[in-house]
Amino acid sequence: MPARAARRRWTRAAWRRLALVLLWLGHGAWVLVGPEAGRRWTHTADTLALPAQGAARQWEGWRARRRDDGRSLQDLQAENIRLASDLAALRLREAQEAPRLAEAEEALRVLGLRKLIPLELSAARVLFSTRPAAFGGLILDQGRDHGLVEDQGVLAPEGIVGRIWSVGPTQSKVLPADAPNASVAVMLIRSRATGVLQGLGASRAHIRYVSNQEVVQPGEAVLTSGLDRVFPRGLLVGHVVRVERGELELELTVQLAAPLDRVSTVLLLPPQPPLEAQQPFVQPEQPKPAGRKKGTP
Amino acid sequence: MRPPTPTTLRQHLLCAGGLLLVVLTAPFPSLQAVVHSALVLTLAPQPGAPLTGALWALAAGWTLELTLRLPPHLGGTAWADLTLVLIAGWTAARWPLDGPKDWLTRLTALTVLHVLLLHWMVRLAAGPHPWGWSWLWTLLSLPLWAWGAWRLLHPAAPTGRR
Repeated sequence: MPARAARRRWTRAAWRRLALVLLWLGHGAWVLVGPEAGRRWTHTADTLALPAQGAARQWEGWRARRRDDGRSLQDLQAENIRLASDLAALRLREAQEAPRLAEAEEALRVLGLRKLIPLELSAARVLFSTRPAAFGGLILDQGRDHGLVEDQGVLAPEGIVGRIWSVGPTQSKVLPADAPNASVAVMLIRSRATGVLQGLGASRAHIRYVSNQEVVQPGEAVLTSGLDRVFPRGLLVGHVVRVERGELELELTVQLAAPLDRVSTVLLLPPQPPLEAQQPFVQPEQPKPAGRKKGTP
Repeated sequence: MRPPTPTTLRQHLLCAGGLLLVVLTAPFPSLQAVVHSALVLTLAPQPGAPLTGALWALAAGWTLELTLRLPPHLGGTAWADLTLVLIAGWTAARWPLDGPKDWLTRLTALTVLHVLLLHWMVRLAAGPHPWGWSWLWTLLSLPLWAWGAWRLLHPAAPTGRR
């Protein structure tokens, strides 16, 4: 019995022989089974690899998205830089064009005023202003060579500016309406009371020779009366800002309408214009129609 | 005078190097076939340890097919290598070598048998396939790689020259 048991006991060499036989037979069986088994194994392997393939696709997708995001970020940064440069160029161009634009707007306004007043008006450009100095004024780019003479009225779209004080060959000087030695024949728009505007400086003036019997309220418009034969009747001069009753006459302070410090283009009235312009620059306020009295037709 | 048997560690290292060469020579099929045959027929067979040699032969066969060959069904090369390494180990144990000439003669016979068996088993596994010219390069270069394997396995043995 022990001998039979010893014979039955498997030695290491026997196990190795068995492994060899199984390897050889297994390979032979595998080879002889043919491609079908391989395809089944391939299918099984593919099925088992699906999670890994999905994870790999996710990983590749994440990398692609990250790459695309990076590319789009770079594109956005480049576009931002380009837009910033375009914006800077546009701002520079706007700054360069701003004076010309303002001048064009001023010219348009002057042109509009020129169409409103049915007189032979000519335009002139203000070269510079000496108003801060004593007896200063505005220097125009036209003079005797352009047909200008002294005492021609000067207008701006907002109102009268003054009159030509002296004329040179190519330039002329304007005495602004707020100069102490300037005077303009004016009238009040409601009472039609007339007076003489004399300058106080700083775009202010006061009106003299208005009777203290007149009723004048602050804010009332002041127009040219045409009596000085420099301005026709009805051009806007300014508005009353202060009214004080004197012993004989009203002391009226007027804020001139024309921006004398900022005016760049002006219109020149013809010498000795007619008293009445056909189309007044500012329409006078129409009095409200009184209620019809009973019994009147 | 019989040459001394190489140590197991030396033979394993040589087999590992041969297997690495099989992988590295995959871009050159003819050279890979030569290295593969040298590994299976000279380095892997171990007279006293047929299982170890069989595992190296299987590794060589599967590596060859997985790195280069793409037949419809793999396994033919590994089966042929396994068979050949068993035959080579058996012959080495049955008829021990006496010198390089015996080594060369035996290798020639084993190489021819390996070529035939390889193509037959691959045909069994994957069906008809072109033979190519790798077998010819293997046979033509047999003296070279046989001598190199002999020197590697038996560095102290005589080369047969006087």
